[in-house]
Amino acid sequence: MSVKKDETASFMLRFTQKIFKNDQGEPQVQWRGNIRHVQGGDEKRFSEFDDAVNFIQGKLAEMTIQQMEDKSPEEQKGILSKSFDLWKKMTLNAPKMVMETIKDPKKGVENIQKEFQEVGEAISQKVEETIAQRKVDVDEWRGVSKSDHNSMMELMEKMSNEISALNKKVNKLSKK
Amino acid sequence: MSKIENQIVDLIAQKKSADIHVQTLGNFQIWRDGEKVSAKEWGRDKTIQLFQFLVTARHRHSLHKEQIVDRLWEDADGKTADQNFKVALHGINKVLEPNRPSRTEPKYILRQGITYQLNLEKIWIDTEAVEKFIALGNQALGDAPDVAIKAYQEAIELYGGIYLPNRLYEDWSSEERERLQILSLGAMITLSELLVEKNPMESIRFAQKALLIDHAWEDAYRVQMEAYLQKGNRPMAIKTYQQCEKVLEEEFGIEPLPETQQLLSKIKGIKAV
Repeated sequence: MSVKKDETASFMLRFTQKIFKNDQGEPQVQWRGNIRHVQGGDEKRFSEFDDAVNFIQGKLAEMTIQQMEDKSPEEQKGILSKSFDLWKKMTLNAPKMVMETIKDPKKGVENIQKEFQEVGEAISQKVEETIAQRKVDVDEWRGVSKSDHNSMMELMEKMSNEISALNKKVNKLSKK
Repeated sequence: MSKIENQIVDLIAQKKSADIHVQTLGNFQIWRDGEKVSAKEWGRDKTIQLFQFLVTARHRHSLHKEQIVDRLWEDADGKTADQNFKVALHGINKVLEPNRPSRTEPKYILRQGITYQLNLEKIWIDTEAVEKFIALGNQALGDAPDVAIKAYQEAIELYGGIYLPNRLYEDWSSEERERLQILSLGAMITLSELLVEKNPMESIRFAQKALLIDHAWEDAYRVQMEAYLQKGNRPMAIKTYQQCEKVLEEEFGIEPLPETQQLLSKIKGIKAV
């Protein structure tokens, strides 16, 4: 994957709503999604919003790592850790935001934009703080190379995808 | 002829009468007085990019120079960006009007102070035509399905592929690309549905065209199953369902909708002749 602009990541998110009746004649709603990382061209389909969140997280982590090339491993660890903390906050709020979007699309979209903006600003601020204060604990991260980081990220993404696939299977089985 | 039919005829005629033709779908090309403009004439890529940016932003009001420069020369300082913009704008005007006398206003790029926009009355753009044909198809859909078919067919013939494929990684082009893709997918499915009984093979062709854009678009599989059923080709209808089932499982981890499953049951319930 080639990332052209290392400071910007844009995502095109598509939701398709399917309303149908189940065997009992009860109305059901299904969401099918597609997310594309504009600068890299990779895309992923999803029926669980968590998959989209994981996709975004993976791409942002790649971008963060690329931007930290010249930083020491200690600084890199601190930045990544802060970035993940903020992203965790985002993912906790995401399902609620999606529900709000379904109930009131206009308001929901405004909330999502606000949340993304806040997280983006907070990440920038934390990155600056971390670099400036150099408040990082080192030890096990000392000497970790960029390729180690990349391998770790790939592994995390793979694990996350596998967990997601397992969840789907469990859900499917529990419905039967 | 109805009013909508006249509008379709006018829209087709506009393409023939316009001095400048712009193709953005599937490829980027410009024709000036019927002749294709070569890459050499464009010169710098930024000249092409500025023109494409103006095409992309054509529905907005005039664009302020700062808005353009911020997106296309984001890394350049103010003075350099300003100079680059002037060079690229000059390049566009030279391509569109190579024989324009000096000190006369450009005909195709309209300027008001420091805002710029394309003169859409004089430039024919494929995306504009696609949208207009689809809108006419939608208007005719209820009362005049044959007219709707004609309008949708014109639109789909123009949809030669994704919007500005050479700008796939530029975020300023993404919104327009997505919008046109969804619009065209909708038109393909509606047209395919309209043709199921009248011309099942054409119906299948348009459904398959939709699947080339998005191979997980379930509606396209379903209408294709209906068309095969109409033709009496049960094996292909069942095979289409199986493809749909496989793709949905692989891409989303879900089953086809009950509507699609019920269609399969209907197909299986019909005895082979």
